[in-house]
Amino acid sequence: MRALVVAVASFMVAAGCQSSSQPTARTSVEAATPVAAPAAPATVALTPAQVDPMIRAAWAKGGIVPAAPVDDARFLRRVYLDVVGTIPPPEVVTSFAADLRSDKRARIVDTLLASPAYAEHWATYWTDALIGQVQEPVVDKGAFRRWLAGRFAANAPWNQIATELLTAEGVSGEGGPRYAGGGSVGSDAGAAPMVDDPAAAGAGGAVNGAVNWFVKYKDAPQDLAGSASRILLGVQIQCAQCHDHKTEKWKQEDFRGFASCFMRTRTEVLDKDKMMGMKRVDVVDIGRPLPRFLKNPELAVFTQAPPHALDGTDLSRAPDPRRALAAWITAPNNPWFSQAIVNRMWGHFLGRGFINPVDDIRPSNPVSAPEVLARIAGDFQAQGYDLKRLVRLIAGTEVYQLSSSPRAGALAAAAAEQDKLWPRFRLEPLGPEELLNALMDATGLEATLRATGKVDLDRIRYVLFTAYSYLFDVDEEFDQTDFEGTISQALALLNGRLVGGGTSDVPGSAIDRIVAGAGTDADKIEALYLRTVSRRPTPEERDYFVRYVNEPHPADVDPPAGSAPAAGGAAGGPLARLRALKAQAQGGKKAGPNLVGPDPLGRLELRDARTVDPRRRAFEDVFWALLNSSEFAFNH
Amino acid sequence: MGTLTDQGLDRRRFLAAGAASFFGLLVSQALRAREASADTAPASAPAPAATACIVLWLNGGPSHLDTFDPKPGTPTGGPFKAIKTRAPSIQLSQHLPLLAEHADKIALVRGMTSREGSHQRGRYLLHTGYAPNPTVVHPALGAWVSSKLGDPSSDIPAFVSIAGPSAAGGILGVQNGPFVVMQAGVLPQNASHAPGVGDTRFARRKAGLEMLEQHFAGETGDIKVDGRRQVYAKAARLMASPRIQAFDASSEPAATRAAYGDSEFGRGCLTARRLVESGVKFVEVQLDGWDTHKDNFTRTTALMGQLDPAISALLHDLDQRKMLGKTLIVCLGEFGRTPKINGNDGRDHFPDAWSALLAGGGVRGGYVHGQTNADGTKVASGSVTVPNLFATVATQLGLNPDATVMSPIGRPIGVTDDGVLVKELVAKS
Repeated sequence: MRALVVAVASFMVAAGCQSSSQPTARTSVEAATPVAAPAAPATVALTPAQVDPMIRAAWAKGGIVPAAPVDDARFLRRVYLDVVGTIPPPEVVTSFAADLRSDKRARIVDTLLASPAYAEHWATYWTDALIGQVQEPVVDKGAFRRWLAGRFAANAPWNQIATELLTAEGVSGEGGPRYAGGGSVGSDAGAAPMVDDPAAAGAGGAVNGAVNWFVKYKDAPQDLAGSASRILLGVQIQCAQCHDHKTEKWKQEDFRGFASCFMRTRTEVLDKDKMMGMKRVDVVDIGRPLPRFLKNPELAVFTQAPPHALDGTDLSRAPDPRRALAAWITAPNNPWFSQAIVNRMWGHFLGRGFINPVDDIRPSNPVSAPEVLARIAGDFQAQGYDLKRLVRLIAGTEVYQLSSSPRAGALAAAAAEQDKLWPRFRLEPLGPEELLNALMDATGLEATLRATGKVDLDRIRYVLFTAYSYLFDVDEEFDQTDFEGTISQALALLNGRLVGGGTSDVPGSAIDRIVAGAGTDADKIEALYLRTVSRRPTPEERDYFVRYVNEPHPADVDPPAGSAPAAGGAAGGPLARLRALKAQAQGGKKAGPNLVGPDPLGRLELRDARTVDPRRRAFEDVFWALLNSSEFAFNH
Repeated sequence: MGTLTDQGLDRRRFLAAGAASFFGLLVSQALRAREASADTAPASAPAPAATACIVLWLNGGPSHLDTFDPKPGTPTGGPFKAIKTRAPSIQLSQHLPLLAEHADKIALVRGMTSREGSHQRGRYLLHTGYAPNPTVVHPALGAWVSSKLGDPSSDIPAFVSIAGPSAAGGILGVQNGPFVVMQAGVLPQNASHAPGVGDTRFARRKAGLEMLEQHFAGETGDIKVDGRRQVYAKAARLMASPRIQAFDASSEPAATRAAYGDSEFGRGCLTARRLVESGVKFVEVQLDGWDTHKDNFTRTTALMGQLDPAISALLHDLDQRKMLGKTLIVCLGEFGRTPKINGNDGRDHFPDAWSALLAGGGVRGGYVHGQTNADGTKVASGSVTVPNLFATVATQLGLNPDATVMSPIGRPIGVTDDGVLVKELVAKS
């Protein structure tokens, strides 16, 4: 018994808990209070092997039998999606399977972290989190994204990135057309520099893409304060904007003092009269409350409040409250900062954070395995807020490498409580960016488009992404128990140009090469599986599809061009055909609210299906089925 | 996150295990509908006046002084004259002559007022009834209608948005968000087979997909996979539904199509009528271009040239088909425009005092509610806030304005932001 007490005590010291303020891990509700001064010893860097026993202890306590370990193929696909936002190329699937080294999983994570795709993916992730779906000409998402990508490529510490975001000054971008630098994985490196707006040469200060977060909230900086608190600290203080928080201890004056820090920075639109393209904004601290906010009855109350931090720390005497606030937020003894990012990253990889929603840390929100969160947060801070290191740590844990299939018999019994401790890998649908990347990579559409001639792939990606992202209603990632997909998304995948253009037998396309290439039918089926679901087919699947491609497939009676399905009353006559053709052509023109120019996939010359060999059509069908499958559309 | 309890969750899992086929019966969805319907008007309330709503969204903020609240001969009135209408109490801009013939059907709310003067915030407010708030994504009104009044087993969506993205499902989920069609009067994009694919080939390739789905669903046993298959089933049902033809207005008689006007908006209004006839509960049709900081008068004239025939034809059509009593029309933008005319012959954003137009769905016809002062700078009497407008619309549709849903962080979010029905707008029955 004594040994147990000693073990628990030393365990808790190692976890960075202070015994006076930290109750035992049993009282998980109170343990949600942010750990004061995480004090992990700087010399002992945390490894996955140290995290594993802590999770196992939590499982044992909860009577949980975790799922079996995930196989290599699924691990590879999962880690590609989570770290770089796309699926592995088929040759990597094959080489990884053949790799006999015991540390191959850790090695592939390192490879991904070192790739340019890492920076691109996380730049997109954080642009979505911070700027979201805003489509204002003053918010230069491209410039913001590029700034972020630079920071992630350099593996800048998270406290530095946060500080830069909070205190950013400078011009928001270089103007120019809206689509430039919209963001893309795998596009040509060194994207062409944007065209300067000659009319505004020299106006304003140096370009600093980071200011665009501030610019998004330029007319309502109190919302920036709320956003900063939620994203960087995981604290939902914005409820206290209008009233003392109903359930937590935040008061209105806490919020006002916090919001006040952001009211002394001027945003000046430099290109006011510009009709098209991005309008540049100059962001400058002026050292005193902005007159226009003082005059605004709604904002004056924030602007006049003396700046102070969430815990009441007076910042009013600091010459620059934003800088003082950033220092307070990223200070080593700030209990929320490290926890918030660790919780969010854990949630990204595991599908569910220690605390959920990931940006809602408060005493009344229970924490799963609080000792693990505290330990990782303490280590993250002690090791310099290194994000790549954090990814390596999480990806190396046993809990991340569980199968998504529950243990036999565990399914029906899985209570909500048990589910919180990650007994199996959580299925999550691919987000719009990941799905688009996966579709383009699986179909090899980019290479096919390049083969048609000079193409602006950045623009095509932007157009496609905009066309598809309006189908995705997702604004925030919270703990979803349901599949949140729309009918429009399903239609786009079932019948849309992107999948159609990719699976159609276009000369030079990936499927063309597979079908025309050497090998048996089974080889070709396998090649299609490797490109899409990143694994080899089971013998049953292989036999099914080999049979499928060898069945007689007479040409459809319906006309070859896009035709409406046989709905009640819709005749297949020439008028209907013409109407359908017109609809198809027109449908291609306007795919979304911000589509720029004609359909980028229009340049693909699809073979007239009547002339296509039925066997080739059958292979197209197999490819289509794989791309529409849930296995493809989920991270599992 | 929705209102489902743990019990509901278990029920769905149990049913999901049985819903094996691609076109699986949406029993679980029907159950969810029954759970949701508990929040509609109490059992003792009379049947709702309206069974559908059509929102004509004038994007950009229409100048009310140049359209619905004319003040000719005043310093702020601008060059347009006012014309008498069929309703003794209503005068309209000279550029709405066709609407004037139907003024006995409309109610003008001339005392609309709000505090959101930016497009993004104003749009959010007028679609959700709430000012934007970082804690929660409020559902569009259409999403509430879809969630509380829609039939999830229907093969046509409950909430459709034409030529504009409307607002999202928010905390009610994307399945209650709008089904968006960017082009009016034609079949929705991607609802037809891809080139080279006909019904036979589609059925064959779908069988291959179904094999993969059953394999994966069996392996993972995950409710989300079943959820996705159900969305796919709904998409396939929409593709095959005869009611999808409602989106295609080309079969309408030439005279009808001409009456609505040869414009995207005109076609959109005609499509909206067809959709409502097919059972769609909430349709939004967007007419963009009202943000007239420059050349307000030329541009507004042109816009009214599209609005006038379209809304008039819609009112006429609905009346003829005896649908007007059951269909609520709401016509407005995110705010009005300044009485003061700027240096570019334009008007700027003005949320302080503006107009909204209502018709049908049990709303009083030939009626003006509220008024602005002589120069249009303030509401003089009968001011109506956006939440109160929403409460009125909600009530007419049979939605309890006080019904709530829990947000993910545990806050109850109501259909309206404490809105109160404006009784004067409702016709005595």
